[in-house]
Amino acid sequence: MGIVIAVISGKGGVGKTTAVANVGLGIAQQGKRCIVLDFDIGQRNLDMILGLENRVVYDMIHVMDGDASLQQALIRSKVDNNLYFLAASQSKDKSVLDSEKIEKLVRNLKKEFDFVILDAPAGIESGYEHTIEFADKAIVVVNPEVSSIRDSDRAIGILDSKSQRVKEGKEVGKYLIINRIVPEMVRSGQMLRSEDILDILDIKLLGKVPEDRGVIDASNQGKPVILNKDSLAGAAYKRIASRLCGEDIKMVDIESEGGGLFKKLTGMFK
Amino acid sequence: MQSKQYSLKVYETTVGEEEKFLSFFEANHILFKDHLIILRGEVSDRIRAYLTSKSLHFLENVTLPEGRPRRELAKELALEKTKQEVKEKMLQSELSKLTNRLENNLTVLDKMIRSGQELSIEGDLLLLNRVNSGATLSITGNLIITQVVEGAIRCSGQFMLLTASPKANIIFHGLEINNSYLEDKLNRVELKNNEVVITPVLKKDINWA
Ligand SMILES: Nc1ncnc2c1ncn2[C@@H]1O[C@H](COP(=O)(O)OP(=O)(O)O)[C@@H](O)[C@H]1O
Ligand SMILES: [Mg+2]
Repeated sequence: MGIVIAVISGKGGVGKTTAVANVGLGIAQQGKRCIVLDFDIGQRNLDMILGLENRVVYDMIHVMDGDASLQQALIRSKVDNNLYFLAASQSKDKSVLDSEKIEKLVRNLKKEFDFVILDAPAGIESGYEHTIEFADKAIVVVNPEVSSIRDSDRAIGILDSKSQRVKEGKEVGKYLIINRIVPEMVRSGQMLRSEDILDILDIKLLGKVPEDRGVIDASNQGKPVILNKDSLAGAAYKRIASRLCGEDIKMVDIESEGGGLFKKLTGMFK
Repeated sequence: MQSKQYSLKVYETTVGEEEKFLSFFEANHILFKDHLIILRGEVSDRIRAYLTSKSLHFLENVTLPEGRPRRELAKELALEKTKQEVKEKMLQSELSKLTNRLENNLTVLDKMIRSGQELSIEGDLLLLNRVNSGATLSITGNLIITQVVEGAIRCSGQFMLLTASPKANIIFHGLEINNSYLEDKLNRVELKNNEVVITPVLKKDINWA
């Protein structure tokens, strides 16, 4: 039985879809069977980032309504055989999301895959509560900005009250990705430090991803940045995927100069 | 048989001079709207007609069963009052030991209050976690928070004990607390003689540099 992970944030545009595509591919590259689902009906673009936009025939609503089988609707990635994709509803009507149907779909996918990753709408959107309802774990993506942190805090609050697991008295594991960190700005005090963000959100750190222009290029080409061996962001997503697969990968201090040595030295004199 | 039981207010009066009686009721009849009026002495037709015209309810020269004598009631009230006073005095004497004053209906919580969450507590609260920006905490009793507050606090207890919280929005008994008064490591906010008094409990760390 696989696990269901919802990738969430407070507001849009912080890097959820980018994280889903890269982490999903990273997990597949580790030999695990992984499916990524686009639940962000308003801003569905996971297909583009994965380079699969022209291959969508059936979407998630077709499957939920029984108009298509999972086999028909699942799209296999060209890059890795272990990665599959299920498209968001092509219809604009967001109310088509129905708890029972979602639960059934998720339950079926859990039987087939090791990881079921949901690209959620932003916490302020109406579809958000549906996406998180049946998640076992959540990955919260934030940018090091006060407004992003505050909105994510709210999304976590909703998760903690609306998820099925919480209603059953269990916990939903919550993990944090801090995305688009500009190390120089953190060092000069212009950008929030990871420690401060963790203080506010009080969830486990899963990884830190630097600002990287390669991300935008990669998305435009439909080749997730994790495939680019020289990209710092790509390396960060790779570490995150490995951690999710259970490997004990050390947290890299991407904020400091010289890969963490500087900070360790100053730390000794404190 | 069907029956009902009522408790109602009775106003008992003796009719003396008719003119005086009528002018008194002319001025005060509103007050007796919900009363049963018991009249003693000679009741004239004029008085009856007047009371009826004002839709007042009255009975003439009847003896009612005795209620609880007034004096007993007054004694009870006085006792209640002294009890209250003693309680307040005891509370005052505990002033220095703030935690001891967290006494009515204490809630202890170690839970982060997140943005968008609204928590209302009846009684006292000891919160061992943060109140994040965008969260609201309303409490009727006393409040101690050991972590930083960045959200909103509405407190109407006797005191609050707060850490330095420059981003908080704190309303104590309807008054907004200026955050610059909450600069110390631990601050006590309390109501003394209807005035908000803020005193540092733990001073800021001394900086030797
Ligand atoms: N680490 C990064 N460095 C640079 N740009 C990024 C990074 N992560 C995301 N982006 C860019 O930010 C934008 C929003 O990302 P996206 O994943 O679509 O966010 P969301 O799904 O949360 O709305 C995209 O243009 C994406 O290329
Ligand atoms: Mg998106």
